[in-house]
Amino acid sequence: MHRSELSTVNGELAVFAPATHSIAIVGSGPSGCYVAHFLRKRWPTSEIVIFDRLDLPYGLVRYGVAPDHTGTKAVARQFDRLFEQSGVRFVGGTEIGRHITVDQLREAFDVTVLATGLSADRALEIPGATSNVPRATTLPAGADVTGAALAGIYGSGRVTRLINGHPDESANGVVFGSRIAIVGQGNVAVDLLRMFLMSPEELRGHGVADEVVNAIAAGPVRHIDIVGRSSLSRAKFDPAMIRELARIPNVRFLADPSELHDADTEPRDSAKCDALLNLLAAASAASAVDGAQNTDAAAGSDRTVRFHFGWVPERIEGDDTVEALIFRSADGIQSSFRLAVDSVLTAIGFFEAEDAPVRRQAHESHDSDLDIGRLGPGLFCVGWLRRGPQGTIPANRTDAKMVADVIGAAADAGEFFPGKPGFSGLNLPTLNCPHRPRPHDL
Amino acid sequence: MSTTVILYGTESGNAELVAEDLAAELEGEREVSVYDMSDFDVADFDAENFYLVVCSTHGDGELPGGATPLFEALNSERPNLSGIRYAMFGLGNSTYETYSQGSEIIDRRLTELGAKRVGVYGRHDACDGSLPNDGAVEWARELLVLV
Repeated sequence: MHRSELSTVNGELAVFAPATHSIAIVGSGPSGCYVAHFLRKRWPTSEIVIFDRLDLPYGLVRYGVAPDHTGTKAVARQFDRLFEQSGVRFVGGTEIGRHITVDQLREAFDVTVLATGLSADRALEIPGATSNVPRATTLPAGADVTGAALAGIYGSGRVTRLINGHPDESANGVVFGSRIAIVGQGNVAVDLLRMFLMSPEELRGHGVADEVVNAIAAGPVRHIDIVGRSSLSRAKFDPAMIRELARIPNVRFLADPSELHDADTEPRDSAKCDALLNLLAAASAASAVDGAQNTDAAAGSDRTVRFHFGWVPERIEGDDTVEALIFRSADGIQSSFRLAVDSVLTAIGFFEAEDAPVRRQAHESHDSDLDIGRLGPGLFCVGWLRRGPQGTIPANRTDAKMVADVIGAAADAGEFFPGKPGFSGLNLPTLNCPHRPRPHDL
Repeated sequence: MSTTVILYGTESGNAELVAEDLAAELEGEREVSVYDMSDFDVADFDAENFYLVVCSTHGDGELPGGATPLFEALNSERPNLSGIRYAMFGLGNSTYETYSQGSEIIDRRLTELGAKRVGVYGRHDACDGSLPNDGAVEWARELLVLV
């Protein structure tokens, strides 16, 4: 029997409407906000509460998108409407799995959706790079990673959070130096490249904190190598990301021509190849002009970026801090090469941290069906937490739509019924611990 | 009775919100229906109705994912759209060379199949991070006075 409640429509007519579902969403990043949006469309009067461990909402949109990509960040304006117009409640500063358990949420809410994403940087599993982050993969046999991690190795997630002012990150002790190696060939690697080529004024203009601007400007950045194992045809970055680089002033883009024309059997992605070849051609034309008209080294065009394709990182050398990154060729034909660098930025993917307060596996059972985001009765997952670290923000919108449809179908099938108290049913005294800020609304 | 049909093709959801705002603005003075292009059947195009098409741009000047099913259906079924009148509002970002090109792909195909675009081609530029909604509502207001 469904609980029913009296509701009025336009103050004129009293009808018995079916009671509405109460929904808790854990994580206010894109997946959490999109799933709230689609559930609100389905159930206009349900109670929807989005919890986040941070005080401010939007997760990856706020902390994981490069600050100059204002178009991508603008999706936050869409999400604002959830809280301003659609009656969705934001409860920040509240960590599920620490302040409130998932089970407590499930007792209080008819539906619980986990949307905490995957934020840990996948680390390079090579000598010199072992670090205090959890390991994503098992090591290849014989790999020597027993030594301490060298200072000067930074994951893309950490760097992007730092630049975006994430409260868990600090610029204390962060040294990038003037020669940086970026390992990775996806759009995140290109984001890093762009961020480290911004002037201090630009960084400040995008709201980057002074201590972070100073950490980047301290080098100052003179040369960046961007290296990955794939050929140009197979590199994952989008052509538009490469074309965007052409607008950066005072930098020359370089590559070894022999690495650009690989004997790849795959059909060439001509848009991507053209984008990079145009960038390199424009840089060489500009330097020819520089050479003819401007011999003043202080003009600032002495910054260089070199793309490398087909190289696998083998080890990082240094005493306490990074001094060099050694690569072997991916095809095994050429030997190896050594880059003298001050820091190494990795952009090779994300995974679920072992110490994450909400771990998907802990909620999986024989009853789960991850293909549709179902973990158990009334418990669902969405976005990267559901399907792994692939796909952009729009892909997570598609994912959220699918999971919202699954939740609706489960409700229609009578898998769960409205009736739980929702937010008012949470045992809030656990939140009044003096060491923690009280949860607060947006 | 003529219906104003709002068709949206979206990638990140902005065009969907524009469509919802247009519907909220126009409801009450006219018959309005809203469809995600993914859920719209090409056989349902009706010369009796007027179509407001809102479409974003994805990636490298491509159609947004939500517009692809309709575009493919237009390609394979080649319906005769003569007599169909529509207006177009494109979303994009002028930081990219491919500004607003997603909407142009669907616009070209509708025109090729005989549909007639009327009024000003509306566009919103997200390069400053602004939302397209207010501009789109203003565009529709001015346009619908004329049609």
